[in-house]
Amino acid sequence: MRIVVAEDLYLLRDGMVRLIEAYGHQVVATAATGPETLDALLTWRPDIAVVDVRMPPTQSDEGLRVALAARSELPGLPVLILSQYVEQLYARELLADGAGGIGYFLKESVFDGDQFIDALERVAAGGTAMDPAVIAKLLSSGSSYRRLERLTEREHSVLGLMAEGLSNQAIGRRLFLSESAISKYTTSLFGKLGITDDDNNNRRVLAVLTYLNNP
Amino acid sequence: MRLLGSWPARVGVGFVRACVVTVVTMLVPAVWAAAVALGIWWGAGNPWSWVAPVVLVCGSTLVLSRPVCRMVRFLVARWTATVIPAGYRQAGPVTRMSTGYWWNGFSYERTRRDALLDQKWRVRWSDPANWRDLRFTVIAPLTAGLVASLPPTGVAVAILGLGRPGPAARVVGALGLVVAVAGAPYAWRCVEPVAVRFLRPSPAMALADRVDELTAQRADATVAQAAEIRRIERDLHDGAQARLVGLGLSLATAEKLLETDPDQARTLMREARAGATASLTELRELVQGINPPVLNDRGLIDAVRALALDSPLEAAVSADLRLSLDPSIESALYFAIAELLTNSVKHAGATRARISITQDDTGIVIDVEDDGRGGAVLRADGGLAGLCRRLAVFDGTLEITSPEGGPTRVRMMVPCESL
Repeated sequence: MRIVVAEDLYLLRDGMVRLIEAYGHQVVATAATGPETLDALLTWRPDIAVVDVRMPPTQSDEGLRVALAARSELPGLPVLILSQYVEQLYARELLADGAGGIGYFLKESVFDGDQFIDALERVAAGGTAMDPAVIAKLLSSGSSYRRLERLTEREHSVLGLMAEGLSNQAIGRRLFLSESAISKYTTSLFGKLGITDDDNNNRRVLAVLTYLNNP
Repeated sequence: MRLLGSWPARVGVGFVRACVVTVVTMLVPAVWAAAVALGIWWGAGNPWSWVAPVVLVCGSTLVLSRPVCRMVRFLVARWTATVIPAGYRQAGPVTRMSTGYWWNGFSYERTRRDALLDQKWRVRWSDPANWRDLRFTVIAPLTAGLVASLPPTGVAVAILGLGRPGPAARVVGALGLVVAVAGAPYAWRCVEPVAVRFLRPSPAMALADRVDELTAQRADATVAQAAEIRRIERDLHDGAQARLVGLGLSLATAEKLLETDPDQARTLMREARAGATASLTELRELVQGINPPVLNDRGLIDAVRALALDSPLEAAVSADLRLSLDPSIESALYFAIAELLTNSVKHAGATRARISITQDDTGIVIDVEDDGRGGAVLRADGGLAGLCRRLAVFDGTLEITSPEGGPTRVRMMVPCESL
């Protein structure tokens, strides 16, 4: 994959580039500020961009705004946002266009190289990948909490992993269950929540996130 | 019909009030008149016979001015609901020094009783309000006193006039009665504007009060800030710092074991990674408590929206704010709203909340309403009182209505001048 890395802290940027290259992917450009990032994204049109939220010059949510701007130029451009903290508000804004190809992670997710690269590949393929912290907040907040009361504990954790963007197979591996057992759980929880199940994994994740995001 | 029916009552009440105003305001001039009469009686020619009356006039004016003013303030508040702040200087605390002497803010005294007495007199005689009171005791009889004395004078004229033979005397008497009856409901009212104009605290006194208020607030803010810094220090010391030490230890041990026991080394490194994640989580929570990043990124409204999204309540946010606020005010308001939402969940058992942030001519108004069980009260050492104190730094106020059974409504206001 051809990847653009945007991160203002040199050590992190360097480490991320080395990690990505260690997994055999190619970093075509790096950027350290918002405008540089936008420039790199529009010039290189990478398979995926890894973008830090807080960058110069404003040191606020520069990266997020750049990612949204780039996606409005190049619809569906896969972007994986990294941040020191996660906000449901930002997750909603990223998912708002419904095009997929979005990842939103805490910075420490790079500690686990395998999972990080796996998420990167899923997002590059047009999928959605969310940090467990985002999903945990989403599942425990106001309206979702009450709507999900009808789910069993197992269905609840399957829903959470599904919202993170994992496929049935991956969920099965995480929970030490067979894929067919997982698909039984998904069928029953989709029935309980009244969402139509979709065979396409990416569309399914979006449907789940949309359901959870609706007040 | 009602008007006619209540008319005699209004005349009666007005007459009594006019008499009261006359007596109160004319008290000091009456003493003066008595002193002059005394001087004349003792012998107008001898200058020494005037010493006692002059002392009497000065002394009585000084002693009576404050009670007269208090009385007028009381009457105005009682009859018209116009409350005029007195603005007298308040005595400070009397403290015992390590030497055993008592300090009252002015001097050292041997006993507490002496210190209090000394303080009382000093506060009384150095109070700038004395000049205002003296001015009022002179102005009031000439204005409100004169007008209020019309009905009693009219009655006196009527009694004298009607009691004498002759048509001229009767006409004068009847006129007096008409003046008394017609003027009674209105004559006393003159005391209100006069009192409001001349009895309110002078700008200097208002400033002195403001200085006291700000001094108290500054002390509060300093204490709160110091406590906050101590909390951050403690959190860093017990949390992140300790974890980083553990991390270093694990890595050092892993390095040693790399040759001899690679499996053990791998376990230790995995632990180190988990430790790093845990300390990041802790640091994130700490930062969230100091200055939430989303507040820095997006400002108050989006930060409150983010707060509402994360809250276990179904919280709706409506906002209409054109001003950009100072970061310190944004932060104070953000944490105030966060605390109110936490209260709604923890104490009121609410499931829904509504937050509205608006702006009007006077300042910012924030309403937070929940559907909980209510019964929230402002206690001196409670969380809500702390909230009030933090808002007071910006002259902000907090009103709470929380009947038993709910719902709880809290309104916070910060005036424009502070923005």
